Formats: sequence, structure tokens, C-alpha cells
Amino acid sequence: MTALTRIGAVVRKEFIHVGRDPRLLAVVLVMPVLQLLLFAYAISFDVRNLPTLVVDLDRTPDSAAYLRAYEASGLFHVVGRADSIAAVDSAFDRNEAQVVVVVPAGFARALTGNEAAEVGVFVDGSEPNAARIAQTYSAALNQLYGRKLAVAWASNQGLDLGQSGAVEPRLRTWYNPERSSSIFLIPGLMVVVIMIVTAQQTAVTLVRERDQGTAEQLLVSPLRRVELMIGKLTPWIIMAFVDLVVIAIVGLTLFHIPLRGDLLVLALGATLFVASCLGIGLIVSAVAPSLDTANMTAFLVAFLPAFLFSGFAFALDQIPPVLDWLSHAFPARYMVTISRGVFLKGSGWAEVWPELAALAAYALVTLAISVRLHGRRS
Amino acid sequence: MPEAPTPAADPDPGPAVRTAGLTRRFGDVLAVDGVDLTVDRGAVFGLLGPDGAGKSTLIRMLATVLLPDQGEAIVLGRSTRHQADEITGRIGYMSQRFSMYPDLTVAENLEFFATVRGVPRALRRERADRLLDGMGLAEFRARQARHLSGGMKQKLMLAATLMHEPELLLLDEPTTGVDPVSRREFWRVLADLHRARTTVVVATPYMDEAERCTAIAFLDGGRIRHQGTPEQIAALIPGVLVEIAGADPHAIRAALSGLADAGSPHVLGDAVRVVWSGPASQAEGQLRGHLAAAGLVVTEIRPITPDMETAFAVLAEAGR
Repeated sequence: MTALTRIGAVVRKEFIHVGRDPRLLAVVLVMPVLQLLLFAYAISFDVRNLPTLVVDLDRTPDSAAYLRAYEASGLFHVVGRADSIAAVDSAFDRNEAQVVVVVPAGFARALTGNEAAEVGVFVDGSEPNAARIAQTYSAALNQLYGRKLAVAWASNQGLDLGQSGAVEPRLRTWYNPERSSSIFLIPGLMVVVIMIVTAQQTAVTLVRERDQGTAEQLLVSPLRRVELMIGKLTPWIIMAFVDLVVIAIVGLTLFHIPLRGDLLVLALGATLFVASCLGIGLIVSAVAPSLDTANMTAFLVAFLPAFLFSGFAFALDQIPPVLDWLSHAFPARYMVTISRGVFLKGSGWAEVWPELAALAAYALVTLAISVRLHGRRS
Repeated sequence: MPEAPTPAADPDPGPAVRTAGLTRRFGDVLAVDGVDLTVDRGAVFGLLGPDGAGKSTLIRMLATVLLPDQGEAIVLGRSTRHQADEITGRIGYMSQRFSMYPDLTVAENLEFFATVRGVPRALRRERADRLLDGMGLAEFRARQARHLSGGMKQKLMLAATLMHEPELLLLDEPTTGVDPVSRREFWRVLADLHRARTTVVVATPYMDEAERCTAIAFLDGGRIRHQGTPEQIAALIPGVLVEIAGADPHAIRAALSGLADAGSPHVLGDAVRVVWSGPASQAEGQLRGHLAAAGLVVTEIRPITPDMETAFAVLAEAGR
């Protein structure tokens, strides 16, 4: 009972600290939403409507039909027409187009003459992601167009080629059929935001108590170390959950991300994950000699791994094995798996229990270490 | 002011503090070197000494925030090394530097530390009001601690350490850097506490504050050089302290340095003080004769009771 009163006093005090620090308030309340909007709107990994310049040097119905196929695809957006290859350079230079399609003279003649017709597709490689996708799109488009021509030619010859010999893969993307990047990003973004809000902030809290001399005052009191830790963590757990709920609501309503799985699993995972982050923050805080060091270290052990090693932005099976191995040492990757699983795949206990177990172990170990490290009488 | 702590609650009515061979080093520096100290219950015990003498280190060990390398400290009958948890709730420790939450108000700081130290809700408000009124802080209760002046900060810290009515107060240079008016007020509060039978250990570099203590220890280089009541310390001076008033104190001081029985001559204001180690009855006659022979005008010669400042200056000189 008295222990609860003491913890309550610490909780209240921590909330007062946050309430009186406008910068901290901004980090806790504004930054998550700002990041959400930034990532979801500005940094889109989607590639659609690639600005395309077409150069028709053939000027035949055939070439015109071929170029119409680009416009019809919806992937390319024809922004202009030009009459010479020289236009390619200036179009790229002025960022007017990312793709230039050049139909050389003799295109129609080659088609009717039963030869292979050649077209030039130029891609601006200064944006590799878009370039790679443009390349894939145009290759697919050409293949499709070639097949259409073959069928047309065969029927002209009185043959029904039908579907003979053609293998047509029917690709389907599950969980995120439109492959919209915001649906992919938001469940991961939650994890990054929580990591920043919790680990970064708790990392400085004990250092500040030491700097202010209040840590010594707390030593001369019946307040136990565990009670101090619980009191310090509780407000951050609450604030992290507020952030989580806000991001989830914005994601569900504004970006129409689905929520297919077990909400309870997500909540439990989030609790364990928040506890892990706070544990990391407290360890940093107990060890760091100054506020600056604490901030820097928290950035290195919390923010960067959350960003790089969580699968949030970079697929973990595509990073070097050493880094993949390293990513297991940080809690973010487990939480990203849980978050995406629950939101997109409808995962429940059966699917994500290994991640839940990993987070539980992580939280226990880090919190135990931080309690041991802090407040030793020297 | 705080009610008297109930001594009956403590099964051990021994001294408030007892240390034996207490030693602490920081790297190569021996901060506290084999200190044996006894502080009786109800005493106002002054720890005196220059900067770097080891006062803070000693007090922090008594407050349980620092562990000794060697030796033992028994505070309120409990070992600081093994029973710190049984001590912390019964003492109040005020560190040398300001150690309240700067972004919390005066009232919030008091409320927080009192709650953490187990003061029941009903008593918290009542004591906070009483302490803030008594220290003239009442009108600043809603002010954030960082916006207080130096003297007010010290009073806030004292109030925070008094909220749980500790049996023993450990104060580390509470009046350093505080204006004279606030210093006097601060000591008035300590006097009230003393009347209420609270034991006070106070470190200070100010010798005039030593006069207000019931017992003092002079610390230098981590060791206790002298210990006792102010009277006992004064009695350690080998001889009587004599004050000589004259037209040219500096010439008088210079003339006296040749006289064997007149030790530690020094100028204080427009008078000269010496420690007369010859027979007390001959002091005035011999000094007058010696100074007249040197052609100096002397208006008055009289024995005085030594103040602490002179006592320590003389003792420090004698020790060298």
C-alpha cells in the first residue's frame, strides 16, 4: 500500500515533468502523427503514372497503336511527344520524364515483314527504385503487346492460335493486393515511433536525476529502486499506448489499413515491446555519464536499429546476413512482425507466439539489468 | 516548528552518530582518513574545515549515499553499510548543491518528497503550510523551484528534508553562498529544531557559525584535528588571548613578533591580537613595556574570550 503511494508520487511527478516541457510534449504528441503523415504521404514507395515522353519516328498506325498501349496501361503517363532522340536528354535533365519510349522508323515495316521490331525504352536511372519498376513494367508491356500481335497475325492467316502453348501465370498479391506502401509502412511505423518515444526519453530520465542531485535525495528515502523504475516507466507506457492508438486510428480511417487479426495479441505485443524499449532506455540512462551521451547512445541503440533492422523500411531477407543476425538483438523486428501479422495477415496467438515470447524475455532481461545498474550506492 | 521525535521508538538510545576509523578514498585522494566521531542526541554538531577537508564526503557517508572503504558508521543505532534501509526514513540529508526538481513548484517538491518518505496525506498539507510559513516561503508555494533565489532554494531544501520530521539532520554547507539575512533565518530554524531535540550535523566553512553549535569538530586533510564544545576548543589555545588597541596596529604586530611569550600576533580591524603564553597576570605589564620601548602608542590592552575563528587560526598555526 505504501509502496503504491510512493510509486504514485513518482508517476505524478513524471507527468508534471512532461507537461512542463514543451519540446518533450511535441515529441510525444505531435511527432508520431507528423511522422505518420510524412511516411504515408510524402515518402511513398508506390510507383504509378511514371511521366513518359514518347518519340514516334515511324509515324504509322502501327506505331501509334503500340504507343497507345503505354497510355492505356495506367502505369505510364504520357506527358509529351517529341520528334528526335535529342529530346531524351533534355527531358531527363529537366525532370519532365522518367521514361522515354522511342519507336524508330521502320517499326511498322518490320512487323508486317515478319521481322523483330525494335523499340527503344530509356529510363532515368537517377532514381533507382522508379527506374527498376519502369523497366519491369515496360518489359511486361512489350511481352504482352508482342503476344497480342502474334495472335492478330495468326488470325489474319486464318489460324486460331487460341491459348495453345501459352502459359499464363496469374499472380495475386495477398494481404495487400494493391501493394500500397502505406498499408505496408504504417504497422511498422508504429513500432519505430514507439521506440523513439520510449527509449529515447527514458534514456535521459535517470541521467537528469543524477545531474540534478535528486537521485541522491531519492536514495535517502524509503523509495526502493524497483518502485522508482515502475514509477518512471508507467507514464511512458501510457503515453506510448496513446500514440499507438492514435496511429492505429489514423491508419485505419485515413489510410484504410485493414485490421484482420487479434487485437489482444497486438496489445500484449505492444506492452512487451514498450517494456523492452524502456528497459533499453533505462540501461542507457544508468550507464551514460552525461545527458549528451545518453541521447547519442539512445539514438544508436534505439532509433537506428528500429529503422534499419526491424524490417520497417528494408526487408530483412535482403540485408546482409550479419545485419540480419544482428537484428535479432533488438526488439523492433519482433514487434514489426507482430504488428504486420495482426494488421495485415490476421495473425493470432498461434502465428506470433515466438515473437511474443522473445519480447517477453527481452523485456524481463533489460528491466532486470536496468534495476540492478541504477542507484547502486557507490 | 517540528514536534520532538519520539526517542522511545528507538530501542538504542545511544549517540545519534558514531563512527570508527571511517575512511573513503577517491582514486588516489584520501578524502576521509580514519575518522572517529561521536555525535550525541540532540546536539547541533558543527563540522568545520576548509574546502576539500572531507566534510561533504563524511556527511554523504553518514547519509548512506556513499559507502565507506574502511571503518564503520553507526547512524541512529544502525550500520550505514548493512542497514541503510532502516536509516534513510529517519534522517534528512541536505546536499551542498541544490537538489530539488527545478520544474516542480515549491509545493510540488515538498509534496513529492514527503509522499516518497511516507508522510500521510493529511499531515503533508499541514506540515508544508507550517514550514513554508515559518520560512517565509508561503507566497512562493506555486513558483517553480528554478525561479527561486539562492536563499529561498536553501530554505526549500531544508523544508523538504524536514517534511518527514527526521530524528537526525545532515546538512552539507547549507548556508554557503547565501546572503547574511537568509543565513540568520536559516540558523533560527536550526535553533528551533535544536529546541525540539532534533540532532543536527552541519558542515560549514564559516567559523562564526561554529559559535552556534553545541559541539564541533575541525576537519582538515580528511582527519579530525580538534573536537569538543566551543569552550573546549577555545581552551586548547595555549595561553590567553589578548587584544591590543593602538595608533598603528601594523607596527604593533611587527614589534610583537620579537617577543617570545606573544604567539600568533595578527591584526583584526584596528586591533592586534596575540596569544600570551607567559603568566596571565604579567601580560599587560610586559606587553606595555615592550611596546613603549619600541616607541609605540598603546591605548588599551585587555584579555578576551577567543572566538572560533581566532581559535582555529591559532590552532592551525600551532599545528604546523
